[in-house]
Amino acid sequence: MYLLEQLINGICQGSIYALMAIGYAVIYGVVGLVTFTYGEIIMMGSFSAFYYFILFGDNLFFALIAGFITAAVVGIVVHKVCYQRFLDAPRYISLICTIGMSMFLKNFATIVFGSEMKGMPAFFAGKFIEIGTIRVGYMQLLIIGVVIALSLVLTIYLKKTRMGMKLRAVSQDKKAAALVGINVKTTTLIGNCIGCGLGGVAGILLGVYYNSVLPTMGGMAGLKAFSSMVLGGLGSISGAAIGGVLIGVVENLGIALTSSGLRDVFAFLLLVLVLVIRPQGLFGKKGN
Amino acid sequence: MLKKVLVIVMCLSLLVGVFAACGDKAEEPGEVAGVIKIGVAAPITGNFAEYGKGFDVATQMAADKINAAGGINGKTLELVVMDSKGDAKEATDIARKFTEDSEIIGVVGDFSSTCCMATAPIYTEAKMVQLSPTASHPDYAGMSEYMFGVMGRQDAEGPFVAQYLAAKYLGAEKLAIIYLNNDWGVSAQSNIVKGADEIGLDIVALENFVDGEKDFTATLTKIRQTNPDTICLVMFYNEVSIIAKQIAQMGWDDVQICALGPGTSEQIIELGGADVEGIATSTPFYVTESDPVAWAFKTEFESKAGFTLNVHSACAYDAVMMMAKAIENLGDNASREAIAGELASMKDFVGITGPIIFTADGDVFRKYKIAQIEDGQWVQKTDYDYAD
Repeated sequence: MYLLEQLINGICQGSIYALMAIGYAVIYGVVGLVTFTYGEIIMMGSFSAFYYFILFGDNLFFALIAGFITAAVVGIVVHKVCYQRFLDAPRYISLICTIGMSMFLKNFATIVFGSEMKGMPAFFAGKFIEIGTIRVGYMQLLIIGVVIALSLVLTIYLKKTRMGMKLRAVSQDKKAAALVGINVKTTTLIGNCIGCGLGGVAGILLGVYYNSVLPTMGGMAGLKAFSSMVLGGLGSISGAAIGGVLIGVVENLGIALTSSGLRDVFAFLLLVLVLVIRPQGLFGKKGN
Repeated sequence: MLKKVLVIVMCLSLLVGVFAACGDKAEEPGEVAGVIKIGVAAPITGNFAEYGKGFDVATQMAADKINAAGGINGKTLELVVMDSKGDAKEATDIARKFTEDSEIIGVVGDFSSTCCMATAPIYTEAKMVQLSPTASHPDYAGMSEYMFGVMGRQDAEGPFVAQYLAAKYLGAEKLAIIYLNNDWGVSAQSNIVKGADEIGLDIVALENFVDGEKDFTATLTKIRQTNPDTICLVMFYNEVSIIAKQIAQMGWDDVQICALGPGTSEQIIELGGADVEGIATSTPFYVTESDPVAWAFKTEFESKAGFTLNVHSACAYDAVMMMAKAIENLGDNASREAIAGELASMKDFVGITGPIIFTADGDVFRKYKIAQIEDGQWVQKTDYDYAD
């Protein structure tokens, strides 16, 4: 029973990781590159919600939308600065540019928002469903619900709409996509925005779940998103989601059995183990 | 066009940087007699920023007061404040800068035991005093004759928290402890456990976390299994407020919370809101209106800092005052090395936080009060005689 409760904690945290990883996978797909700015985008999303709550009151739904838009706008900036100008240049230039952008955003946030931790309002405090001896908080249910809903919307968007098809085409092969008349630049921009927007929403969920936002919160969040994606298999969106949930569950069960100090040990041990046994990730294709 | 503007702006900003650096050099008085410099290392940004900012304001208040009264033996006291961010690596860099600057005669700082213990060998080699307002690890001050701490020691505060704050005041019978896993946290936690063992208080859970942790749900779920009536949090304000909020979020309402470490931090209330109501903590210093000197200090501090006085800032003020007094007593013989001997033998210093007389190790045994959050404010609940 107790482990089941920890399992639910893990799924809840894991679903936030999953959302971050899905966004990351979308970006990786269209850009074709690992980004190091993603953690900071998550942080910006979180801060936009923090200020939304101050300015317009505690409405989580609109805050999520505000966070999506803010993160997408930051995504446009990242795209303009780091990707667009270097499309034909060696790939590592964009890569290093994202590292620079990450440092810039972190320090920018520290200067503008202040370095101290800020509290987020609590939603559904003390409300939970009791099944036997297990307690599941409303907040946890809400987080899992939001993540599932967004994943479904994204899947439908990618599979059923024309734009989604273009995104998938660009992810698979940029040159071939250009040959059949897809505007690769615009599509990459849109894909990047969607990925960043999802990251922003995940940032808000993270902030609300942890009750805190901080300019340096992006580092570990970005790393977890990246790990989840690698665990699931590079470029596989459903793989990324499962990777995220897995990392969350393993972390929480690890804490349940040992101590919170070892959280990241479990998360990254899992990653290393999977990569040793299956280098392409759980759901990746060989040769990717 | 845009490119050109960008280039010009960048060049200008570089130039400004260069001039600013030159400006610093030019303003330095060099070997001008009439100035005494003390280094202040404090975590002005980062996870302990409230305490670091408090250090900054309080030490400056002390310097202003000394200078207004004619300085130290006619010389002006100047503070060189540096931000260690609560990071031992930054703190050691600062220690090297301070020890290499021959004008700096002594150092007040740092905040955390971890930082102080990391820098202790550097200061010791330079025969320079590190007078920490707040380091309370029992091993810290004993590391060398140049290490001093004014806050009190964990082997006094830990047992007080177990026996008086938790058992006597809150009536705890089953205690759970969550502690920050660093030098200070481990030492504080082991002293609480020792104190609890002495009176037979049952410790049902003992959990730790590393600095920077934000999600305590799994840890709290685990602790709730052991059914404690009181949780003792050995950590600082950020984590105390996060844990209090996550406890409330879980709907776990039949547990009391006490804390060792944060003092009467305003940030706990700011961050935690209604969820931190009822948290009790031990503090070696709490100002009430019955003490006019301390009350005046509190009022002045709060108008300058913009937040409520905490014990850490008061200790920082006393630390500067004490070092200034040592330098004054030494007169023309003041040197880095001599200050240590003078501090160790000083028996008549009374600061805002009470009389400070160092033990053979170089730290102080304190008595503690209990303060609790009531209606969004810290309220003193017991006085020093509670443990008698």
